[in-house]
Amino acid sequence: MSQINAYRRKFLAALSGVAAGSLASGVILRTVQAGDVPAKPADQPISNQVRWGMLIDINRLTDGGASMVEACKREHGWGNDPKARPEQQAQWIRTVQVTDKLTQHSFTLPVMCQHCAEPPCVDVCPTGASMKRADGIVQVNKHICIGCRYCMMACPYKARSFVHENLTDQRPDSPRGIGTVESCNLCVHRVDQGQLPACAEAAPQAVIFGDLNDPNSRISQAVKTLGGSQIRADLSLNTGVRYLGL
Amino acid sequence: MPLLSKIKSLLGLALFAIALVGCDAGVPEPNLAPAKAKAAQCVEPTADIRKNHMVYLDKHRDKTVIEGIRTTKHSLNECINCHVAPTREDGSAVHYTDAKQDHFCASCHTYVGVKLDCFQCHADRPQVAENPNYQHKLSSTTYHLSATTAQPDASDLLLLGSGQVQGATQ
Ligand code: HEC
Ligand code: HEC
Ligand code: HEC
Repeated sequence: MSQINAYRRKFLAALSGVAAGSLASGVILRTVQAGDVPAKPADQPISNQVRWGMLIDINRLTDGGASMVEACKREHGWGNDPKARPEQQAQWIRTVQVTDKLTQHSFTLPVMCQHCAEPPCVDVCPTGASMKRADGIVQVNKHICIGCRYCMMACPYKARSFVHENLTDQRPDSPRGIGTVESCNLCVHRVDQGQLPACAEAAPQAVIFGDLNDPNSRISQAVKTLGGSQIRADLSLNTGVRYLGL
Repeated sequence: MPLLSKIKSLLGLALFAIALVGCDAGVPEPNLAPAKAKAAQCVEPTADIRKNHMVYLDKHRDKTVIEGIRTTKHSLNECINCHVAPTREDGSAVHYTDAKQDHFCASCHTYVGVKLDCFQCHADRPQVAENPNYQHKLSSTTYHLSATTAQPDASDLLLLGSGQVQGATQ
């Protein structure tokens, strides 16, 4: 990113910050009633009327996302597989530090599955295990995953991991096991029951989770006023995870 | 269907043996103690669940993973919650692969010789420690919300996007 570009982005971000002030209270009032994740009756299937998304303001993420990573580890029980070497450990979400070589300006952002509308991991999967749910959540259907790891190669965000060893005492809500690929699933088991993903709950000051298809949702209002950039927007994957302050 | 009748006779044999407790036929009974401590009935009539549990489980898993249906009746987690005690009386953990074969599913599956891979991924016993409270992990330097529901309020959104530089607080 050139210096001028970086400067221009900062300037624009500052501008939109001012613009947000007048709108924000209205945004909030509406969501107090609706909630970011409306509870779906347990026996109803998900629908494509909804598209889940997440907006992360890295300027407000003072720990660079470490608390989000911790919350994810605890929710899904990864990161401590007894036999794996450090570089083999699963990584559903990680923090990435970016430094501008020219200005030395440096910041950290959390990176996980970006929940693309056009996911390359789904395109390459030979069995259909790598899938996008109707509501936009990209996940692995481990029941039919054969562990070929094509999806790991296809993902431009390096979001997927492979389990190399036998595991016991997994988290009941997040089954994971040998020979299959895994990644962030936006905490499907929580979202289906009207709860926020664990990472969003751990960083409420910096993360808005919600329905990008609903123009009145808090996240839609926020991306409308503040914008929200995609990582590798040049790939045109239309990601569900967006960032402020990149 | 020859396979089905084979299974039926197999199960019939198991039942017959169960009926003849004390005759020492060498056929182990499924370990129903943990479930019977909690409920009188299974989620389906006993004869039906005995024969068709795999059908219910297979149907429910696709409904859950693909369609996001989260009913509890045929959920594998619920079978385990009711049918398996997390520990034995001596405090040791109960696992499907234990040589003791007192895990409910193992207590029958080992005998009938049907291998299950489900517990390579699925927890084979109810969770002991409850879900921790994520909020307590936040460091003291992190802005802490008052609401336990973790829903940001109006002032939060005002701050969101106001361009505070991350490095300053890191
Ligand atoms: C609320 C507790 C409960 C839940 C949940 C439950 N069961 Fe049961 N199950 C029981 C009880 C009690 C019995 C014994 C019924 C009897 O003695 O007639 C039983 C019996 C059975 C049997 C027959 C064992 C035999 O006698 O041969 C099977 C097989 C079984 N359950 C499987 C399952 C499966 C699979 C699930 C999940 C889909 C499940 N159960 C969920 C309580 C439960
Ligand atoms: C490679 C890992 C893996 C294996 C092996 C596996 N599952 Fe799953 N299973 C999962 C994942 C991941 C989910 C999704 C959990 C969620 O979304 O909450 C799941 C969900 C389910 C569900 C719905 C959730 C629930 O608790 O009811 C059922 C039922 C289920 N599996 C049954 C089975 C059965 C039966 C087997 C064995 C024949 C099996 N699974 C083997 C990973 C696995
Ligand atoms: C009373 C004996 C009995 C009990 C208890 C039992 N099963 Fe089974 N199960 C069987 C038999 C017999 C088969 C094989 C039937 C067949 O081949 O069609 C089977 C098959 C299955 C299958 C299909 C396996 C495959 O490879 O297709 C699954 C999945 C399964 N059982 C899960 C469970 C789970 C989970 C539990 C514990 C909650 C359990 N069973 C408890 C007798 C039992």
